[in-house]
Amino acid sequence: MNILVLNCGSSSIKYQLFDMREETVLAKGIVEKIGLKGSFLLNERHDGDKVRLEGEVLDAQAAIEYVLGVLLSPNHGSLRSMDQIQAVGHRVVHGGEAFQASVLIDQRVMADIERCIELAPLHNPANLKGIEAIASMIPKVPQVAVFDTAFHQSMPPRAYMYATPYSLYKKYGIRRYGFHGTSHRYVSEKAAEFLGRPLESLKLITAHLGNGASMSAIQNGKSVDTSMGLTPVEGLVMGTRSGDLDLGVLTFLMDKEELSLQSANSIINKHSGMLGISGISSDMREIEAAADQDNRRARLALDVYAYRARKYIGSYIAAMNGLDALVFTGGVGENSRTIRRLICQEMDYLGLEMDTERNQANPKPGDVATPASRARILIMPTNEELVIARDTLAIVGAADA
Amino acid sequence: MSSIPVEPIEAYGLSKKNRPKALFAKIGIVGCGNKGQSIALMASRNGVEVVFIELTEEKVEKAMHEMDETLSQQIDHWGMTQSEKRSILSRIRGSIDYADLAGADMVIDAILSKRREYAVEIRKSVFKRIEEHVEPHAIIATNSTTTVITELSSELEHKDRCVSLHFSTTDAESDVVEVARGLNTSDEAYARVLKFAKLVKRVAIPVEESPGLVSVRMIVVLINEACDTLMEGVATMEDIDLTLRQGLSQSLGPFELADKLGIDRITQWMENLYNEFGDIKYKANPIIKKLVRSGANGRKSGKGFYHYDASGKRLQPNLKQFGKRWN
Repeated sequence: MNILVLNCGSSSIKYQLFDMREETVLAKGIVEKIGLKGSFLLNERHDGDKVRLEGEVLDAQAAIEYVLGVLLSPNHGSLRSMDQIQAVGHRVVHGGEAFQASVLIDQRVMADIERCIELAPLHNPANLKGIEAIASMIPKVPQVAVFDTAFHQSMPPRAYMYATPYSLYKKYGIRRYGFHGTSHRYVSEKAAEFLGRPLESLKLITAHLGNGASMSAIQNGKSVDTSMGLTPVEGLVMGTRSGDLDLGVLTFLMDKEELSLQSANSIINKHSGMLGISGISSDMREIEAAADQDNRRARLALDVYAYRARKYIGSYIAAMNGLDALVFTGGVGENSRTIRRLICQEMDYLGLEMDTERNQANPKPGDVATPASRARILIMPTNEELVIARDTLAIVGAADA
Repeated sequence: MSSIPVEPIEAYGLSKKNRPKALFAKIGIVGCGNKGQSIALMASRNGVEVVFIELTEEKVEKAMHEMDETLSQQIDHWGMTQSEKRSILSRIRGSIDYADLAGADMVIDAILSKRREYAVEIRKSVFKRIEEHVEPHAIIATNSTTTVITELSSELEHKDRCVSLHFSTTDAESDVVEVARGLNTSDEAYARVLKFAKLVKRVAIPVEESPGLVSVRMIVVLINEACDTLMEGVATMEDIDLTLRQGLSQSLGPFELADKLGIDRITQWMENLYNEFGDIKYKANPIIKKLVRSGANGRKSGKGFYHYDASGKRLQPNLKQFGKRWN
């Protein structure tokens, strides 16, 4: 079965076409600057053939039409006819409390995703447009929605409730939802496989560190806590997001700097985090390079980043009363030796001892803890697209049977 | 650079039927003062390419410089990042040649008009010049509130494509735009303008063609009434502003608002509305006339009802107090 996986953003669409017999990627690519000047589509076939298509791409509908067009094209395509796409899986950012797992999309599901727009005004509308576009072009093909929030729906109320008036939880759904669920789920499964132990017996902390970053406490295969909240701005220090912040800071700044709602949002989402502290960049590689040159603020940024992460690890070990493995994933987690080292230093009391040489070798996947370390320290590359394809296969396969 | 082959994307469309052209890939703006600039920035911010027309090269440069400043101020106020600023400015181009409007999907007249009797004629001629350079489908719109679109479009070849499009005058972050159709405006043109409003993330408020639309008609009466209240000595200027702000949940009081809008502009609106409706309630209050005559046009000139410092911060009142404070 061939499955097309779509990740529709507000101005870009990422896609991968899987042949699920061997879980191979037939083609992948991205459409960028949709609806803007200079839009283009970049396609890469499994045999290495690459093409860049330039021209006007008005909206998600047009973008997906071109994606299908290039996949079917004689020159750069991977398919002979449209029927070779048997299902489409979509990444959907916010499923609210309505979705605990991936689902087959129907009218009711669409309506529920639409209701979650309030919680993810930037993402859910784009996700919906992608679903609608596929429905209009290849209406018979089943579609599956895979939610960023779904994996974390297993959190107990004590982890997801904020100490705000309960009426606001009932009225607007103000609570912790968490994101990156697909990634946390995938790497926790891979970690169990790697350790050769059943996931149901493990206490794991997964650290998805990319431009956005979140950590999850995973007990017996279920997310029991996660660092992102109602929105992706809570928790760890990120590229340009502040992560945890005294709420008083925001009201203080709104008053002092006369910030509008938009500016307040922008200050914590775009001007903060590693960029905000270092003043250099949101890119971890550039910050590390500057720190190597003895840039004081770059060092400070790395310190704050690692310290925050260590506090989360400590609190999640407390929450689960133990730890079997800490799992690093995401662009930074999989590649930055420095960040992993800074996070894992002086954690021996909590059972984490890093083998710095192994860490330097950066095995992907691999274990970089010392043999004596009570808990393992793993590096596990994530693959969210594959999870979406697998879920889609499982759901569509079950529906067919 | 890697050598990835580049091909036109159109060849990969699935349907052979003609795809509609991008509704608003490029817009034109005639007149790039405050209003024109804020429209240009708003459109560009949402991915639309903008060409604006000014009278001289100096004015083109001045407008570009002012827009640069505006965005820098937003960066200082955390509303934007450097890279967003660069991409916004890269989509805006100024020109003194109407021919550069060619290919625009919509052109908005945002010229400043000093006198009513000329304004209509000037705008009419602007409309005609725009029409010479754009495709028949292109929308021609005015940001003017007090001149009616039917009149402006009366001498055009394609009158059906004209609308009046009035962006909120006070606040760049405000999200409403009044859209008025004239007698000749086609449903299609009107629908496209509503789409443009949506594209630039504004809520379109459909209004019937009527001088002053909703916003200007309301605001001039409020400001006039505030001046009357002040002259009668009912309360001080600051207290009247305070009452509106705190007591009636306005973000600015009437005098602060007048200073922000520009008192010369308000006088213009008042005169236009008075000429149209003949109703005395639109006649500019003597205080307003006095301020305009003394060049106190509001925040932009450093004084209006209040004094302002260079950064636009409000200082003491500029008028002798009519009312008294009881404390």
